[in-house]
Amino acid sequence: MDPRAWRRFKKNKGAVFGAVLVVVVCLLGLLGPFVAPHDPNEQYRDTLLHEDGIPVGSGEVDGFPLGGDTVGRDQLSRLLWGGRVSMQVAISATAIAVFLGLLIGVTSGYFGGAFDMAAMRGVDVVLSIPFLLLAITVQRVIRNPELWTLYLLLGFLSWTALARVTRAKTMQVRRLEYIQAAQALGMSTARILWRHVLPNVLGPAIVIGTTLVAQMILVESAMSYLGLGVQPPDASWGSMLKEGQEMLRASPGLMLFPSALIVTTVFGFNLMGEGLRDAFDPKD
Amino acid sequence: MPSTRRIEVLAALALLLVGCPEEPQGPRYRGAGGEPQTGGTFVFHHESNLDSLDPHLGYNELATMASRLIYDGLLDYDHDAELVPSLAEAMPTISDGGRRFRFRLRQGVRFHPMPGYPQGRELTTADVRYSLMRLMSPGIASPGFPFFRTIEGADAYHAGERDDVPGIRVIDRYTIEFQLIEPDQTFLNAMAMTFSYPLPHEAVEHFGDEFGRNPVGTGPNVFVRWERGVQVEFRRFAGYWNAGPSPSRLIFLENLQRGVAAMRFRNGDLDAIHRQNTQDFLFFRQADAWHPTTEEFPLPSTWGIIMNTEIAPFDDVHVRRAVAYGIDREAWVRARSSRINAAGQLVPPNVWGYAEDLENEHHMDLARAREELALAGYPDGLPEEIELLTGDGDVSRIYGELFQSDMARIGIRVRLKQLAFATFLQQSGTRRMVQAHLSGWNMDFPDAASFFDPLFHSRAIADESSQNRAFYSNPELDALLDRARAETDRAARLQMYREAATILNDDAPWAFVFNPMLMEVWQPYVKGYRPHPVWSEDYRQVWLDLPRQRITDRLGGAE
Repeated sequence: MDPRAWRRFKKNKGAVFGAVLVVVVCLLGLLGPFVAPHDPNEQYRDTLLHEDGIPVGSGEVDGFPLGGDTVGRDQLSRLLWGGRVSMQVAISATAIAVFLGLLIGVTSGYFGGAFDMAAMRGVDVVLSIPFLLLAITVQRVIRNPELWTLYLLLGFLSWTALARVTRAKTMQVRRLEYIQAAQALGMSTARILWRHVLPNVLGPAIVIGTTLVAQMILVESAMSYLGLGVQPPDASWGSMLKEGQEMLRASPGLMLFPSALIVTTVFGFNLMGEGLRDAFDPKD
Repeated sequence: MPSTRRIEVLAALALLLVGCPEEPQGPRYRGAGGEPQTGGTFVFHHESNLDSLDPHLGYNELATMASRLIYDGLLDYDHDAELVPSLAEAMPTISDGGRRFRFRLRQGVRFHPMPGYPQGRELTTADVRYSLMRLMSPGIASPGFPFFRTIEGADAYHAGERDDVPGIRVIDRYTIEFQLIEPDQTFLNAMAMTFSYPLPHEAVEHFGDEFGRNPVGTGPNVFVRWERGVQVEFRRFAGYWNAGPSPSRLIFLENLQRGVAAMRFRNGDLDAIHRQNTQDFLFFRQADAWHPTTEEFPLPSTWGIIMNTEIAPFDDVHVRRAVAYGIDREAWVRARSSRINAAGQLVPPNVWGYAEDLENEHHMDLARAREELALAGYPDGLPEEIELLTGDGDVSRIYGELFQSDMARIGIRVRLKQLAFATFLQQSGTRRMVQAHLSGWNMDFPDAASFFDPLFHSRAIADESSQNRAFYSNPELDALLDRARAETDRAARLQMYREAATILNDDAPWAFVFNPMLMEVWQPYVKGYRPHPVWSEDYRQVWLDLPRQRITDRLGGAE
């Protein structure tokens, strides 16, 4: 990474704050399941449900600091496990999207011509598909939707923005003298792309990738909220949000905690993404 | 402009901290305290939408409710769930060993105004005959046909093999007779179902396929207009034979979600609500000011885990019993805030035919469950995960998760699969397709036969759209049910259904789990309303005590 960019990033307080949030959330996702006090799917029906069926709230029962959910499962453990699911989906889907976006963007920008034409029309087609609608349809049609189908689906639907940006950047870079020099020296196309083009487009890729993670977290929440994400009894922040909805007035914590975590995560990734953009591209 | 933005953020935060303004704890309006009167508009709702107002086609609670606004039957039920005459002058005379039923129609009953009859016209036995013939005709494919199949000639007519039904005989303008091929104790119940409600042939012919959107009946309300998916409007039928004080207009709102409905109700924009989400349910249960107009009562319906007896592992009775004894019904009741009652047999306690103190009632007995699994050859639990199909929605998911957790304790791993309702029905009704599913059955009429026959008689098995969704076939039970259906002695019949319940609980094609409760709440100015044991949301006795008065004290909480 360009040391100047790093310096600029460090000076941006918002960006650093975002990065800290991201690190904390990632650690939660990574380590959460190991520090979770209980099995997230175990129903402590007598301990965590009041007689009238209202979940026990925060701090009411020892050993369950955040109380229970609507069927008496430990809320804290579910939040910790749910974070892993949300992060897993978001990061996997983003990885797929970034890979596809770079591959298509760089090749079509570098080679141009008919290939470029076809690739960009492909982008138009994917962009024209209503994202959530298609995602819902696919998850509905699949007989046993599992989490990896969600990664693939989200990944394959979100590479377009990155492809466009990297294509434009590649077209800029391609005309520069050092690329011509490399070509004149007889360097192979693959090597040129790898050594000279890719590093130049990596900046925007990182920026878009970071904000994409934030978007994917939201989309995963939306999908789980619609019942199309994780399968019960597993938790994700989105599905917990949905499950808490019925009890909003009686036990607001059921919605408050997962939504606070979603907001924090998205906020963190967005702040970091903006910081990265400013750092990589001081001209804007 | 950053400054305004900051103010917005602060405002949003402040709202979050302060929370929403306090809601009124009681009704906003009360009645005027006047004598029973006619007038005003009654507004009610449902969370889904109507397909048709043709009483011969609709076969769900909503369709039944709507049909009863517009139509009447020869028989009806009183508030003790006993059959009483309605369009019939009296209960029919029964002869030929319970095979022949002679009805006499009430005179002077009029149909609503319709094309060609701006003042309506009188109902006669020809209309009763016409309507039943329409219901049974092969062209209309009514789900109601099976209830009338014991009428002589009905089967052949339904199959298109003949074009008359000799078992329906019009004696004169007001007298009609039905001849059955065998004694059938449920025939009178069938004559109280919405499927038997008479329609005028002129209107049916005039509107053709559109009759369901232009209904004409003899009931208390005349159809006015229908904005599809939004609302249906009715007005009071001035020529109704049984007219009493009533609202002059009815507005039925479709597709109104529970949470929204409860808010609108508390605001005074809706006059009655009947299905709440849990927090609203608990609110009304605890709000003293609402108590006089709140009623909570068990529904005549039974829910359970339905196991497909034709495919593994549920082709083994021991596995089925293990499931039946492995379910912690009390925990389900608690997780659902006592909105359900634990059930251990098919017929709910509030329906005739319930077996008191049944010896092999399903209940939780984990030792027994493990024992049964061992007898099936799985002392360490089932090696394969099983799949439980449920309907859509949060409540289904909660039941599914409770089941998962219960089964894990006895060594059965369960995968849940939630499907949209139409797909759920289609898959669970297809032979050898679904291992197990969670579902319930609402009675068609208040009699044990309405539970046993459609769900467990082998006649109810079909390769597709099967009603017997456990695909359970037992010749011994079939014979018993057939005898019980024909038995005229009520005590002997009751004993037969007890025997049937014993057989069923032993074979456990269903693990019976719960009977749901329903809560209805209505506004204080809505008078004369009493929840009906057979018909849900039966607003026939309602009148409005107008003008309604705004309640302004602290409890009502408006100002």
